[in-house]
Amino acid sequence: MFLLEIIFTVGGCALAAGAVLILLALMGFPPGHILELWYRGAVADRYALADTLTKACPLLLTGLAAAITFRAGVFNIGAQGQLLVGAAMAVAMSTRLLSPHTPPLPGITMCLFAGAGAGAAWGLLASLLELWRKVPVVLSTILLNFTALYAVKILLHSYLQAHGTSAPQSSQIPPHFCLPVMMKYTSLHIGVLIAAAVAMVAEFVQVMTVFGFQTTAIGLNEAASRLVGIPVAARQIQAMLIGAGCAGLAGAIQILGVAHFMTAKIGNYGYAGIAVALLGRLDPMGVAVAALFFGALDAGAQRAEESSIGLPHETSNIIKAVIILAMLIIGAWSMRRTLRSGLWQQRNTETGDGA
Amino acid sequence: MVLAGLGELTAEITGVIDIGIEGIMLSGALAAFLASFASGHGMIGLLAGILSGIVMAGIFAVTCIGMGADQIVVGTAINLLALGATGSFWMLFQNWTQSHNLVIHLARNEAFNRIPIPWLSQIGFAGPALFDQYGLVYFTIVLCGMVGWALNRTRLGLVIRGLGDSPETCAAAGIPVKLSRTLATLFAGGCAGAAGAYLSIMQTHSFAQNMTDGIGFVVLSLVIFGRWTVWGLISGCVLFGAINSLQQTLQTARYTSHSTVLHAMRHLPFEIFQMLPYLAALIALAIFAGSRPGPKYLGKNWQADS
Repeated sequence: MFLLEIIFTVGGCALAAGAVLILLALMGFPPGHILELWYRGAVADRYALADTLTKACPLLLTGLAAAITFRAGVFNIGAQGQLLVGAAMAVAMSTRLLSPHTPPLPGITMCLFAGAGAGAAWGLLASLLELWRKVPVVLSTILLNFTALYAVKILLHSYLQAHGTSAPQSSQIPPHFCLPVMMKYTSLHIGVLIAAAVAMVAEFVQVMTVFGFQTTAIGLNEAASRLVGIPVAARQIQAMLIGAGCAGLAGAIQILGVAHFMTAKIGNYGYAGIAVALLGRLDPMGVAVAALFFGALDAGAQRAEESSIGLPHETSNIIKAVIILAMLIIGAWSMRRTLRSGLWQQRNTETGDGA
Repeated sequence: MVLAGLGELTAEITGVIDIGIEGIMLSGALAAFLASFASGHGMIGLLAGILSGIVMAGIFAVTCIGMGADQIVVGTAINLLALGATGSFWMLFQNWTQSHNLVIHLARNEAFNRIPIPWLSQIGFAGPALFDQYGLVYFTIVLCGMVGWALNRTRLGLVIRGLGDSPETCAAAGIPVKLSRTLATLFAGGCAGAAGAYLSIMQTHSFAQNMTDGIGFVVLSLVIFGRWTVWGLISGCVLFGAINSLQQTLQTARYTSHSTVLHAMRHLPFEIFQMLPYLAALIALAIFAGSRPGPKYLGKNWQADS
């Protein structure tokens, strides 16, 4: 069953990409050329691979932000806001709060923790609104995304604004607070390793610990979990804290590792993270694979946009969206199949045939 | 906005929550713009907007109601799809017009014009605001009245409300639950598509990437704010519209007015005013969301064999 699922997922991705390529061919873009550009931009040499990894890093973390919370039945659509808040916090730490003489290691660590903490706090706001005022998390997190966007813009116009400019952007992060680069001539930074480590810990927690089991149970059946004595509200808030923390960390890493200064246009990683989580079946390792795939799509799309044919990079978004829809249809279909086979087994046990 | 909310309201009362309304509006806006650009007729644009809304809602209906996928997950996917697809089509369209030396422009007379109602539109202060509007606005007002009447006073309304509170009972009474919910979802899609068309071909005469900018989500909160009633929704929308125009007025007035209060606001960053609508929606939700539960089966799929 598991193997079948993987085959379906990969097949669905290929089908979706193929469908979009056909559409592009109809609009006059040669599909062979696009594929070649994509290949060269994403996986052809070690620089392309580094690019893919760098682009996959924030997607992995925001994907985890969505996966961890969705799994516990908390529909946290707010990774974008949490990411923005986390990024702003990291900028505040590195350019304003910390003394420039702080040594790199504690400095960077504090920046990353501050970013994750700020993201978690922003997520906690939505959780508390649900706990106290029964505001659906789906809506509050989205509205908080917009609130965060404008709040960050205000900060970039005032407290965080670089001296001597009127543009809404922060000062450069001091070089010794930037994440070290692992490979020359690329922006492959150690944040990628941090993200991978977070994914592994998340996988461990999910598979091996009581917490992971309980959150999964809540996501599958909240009422039943409550009946067997799982502290549903507490677990959901904890899942939100962890997930939102991941999103905040994504923002901090993106600023310290890639951008090195901040504007409000940091990228739609939060929304893309939801797609990554869905494609990865809400499983941390699945999310990692999905993030790599989306990172490769983005890296390839960038190459295609910079090339002579000038394909807009939004095409990678279309491919992503079509993939998600294909996944949803396949997912719903396979779920029904599982349900049916479950029913069938049940009937067999009743008649004494055994399952 | 009232229009989009009206459709969503109907769908939610039958127990379907469509988070994808934002994406549907966006696709409606683009479809309406392209169609009226190509054909030169505003009406065809509006129809295209409605049609694209229905198609997007159709995707939603097939996956959620037909195949039992999670409504919130599918809605989110539809938003992503619409954002990516409209963004790229718009880029490609701009490239295409540039290479053919065409100007992206909707001729004034071809897009919808405001239709002033004789006599009424000249009544003092409120006249121009209420009676010098686009045809779609009048239509929305009529539709509001009709939906409000149908929901509360007719057998159809009883069925629609029953679908959201107790689908089993409806099924036992011989009402096709899935079909009715699908129809309500498609109605919501058409309304949201028309609302998107209003944004692009009437209000701004143009399209911009991600032009809906969260309006769809605000509409979702307003439906809750209005406690799933038509009048509640309308008052929510009017209130929201008032806050929105207040923030726009404040943004400019603080530089022109001589009042000391407004003068003091000059030092506030303008983003505070842009933040207001979302913050207001959030606060409204915090105050009202818990006070009355919505339809019992909101967001829950219903299968005949369960």
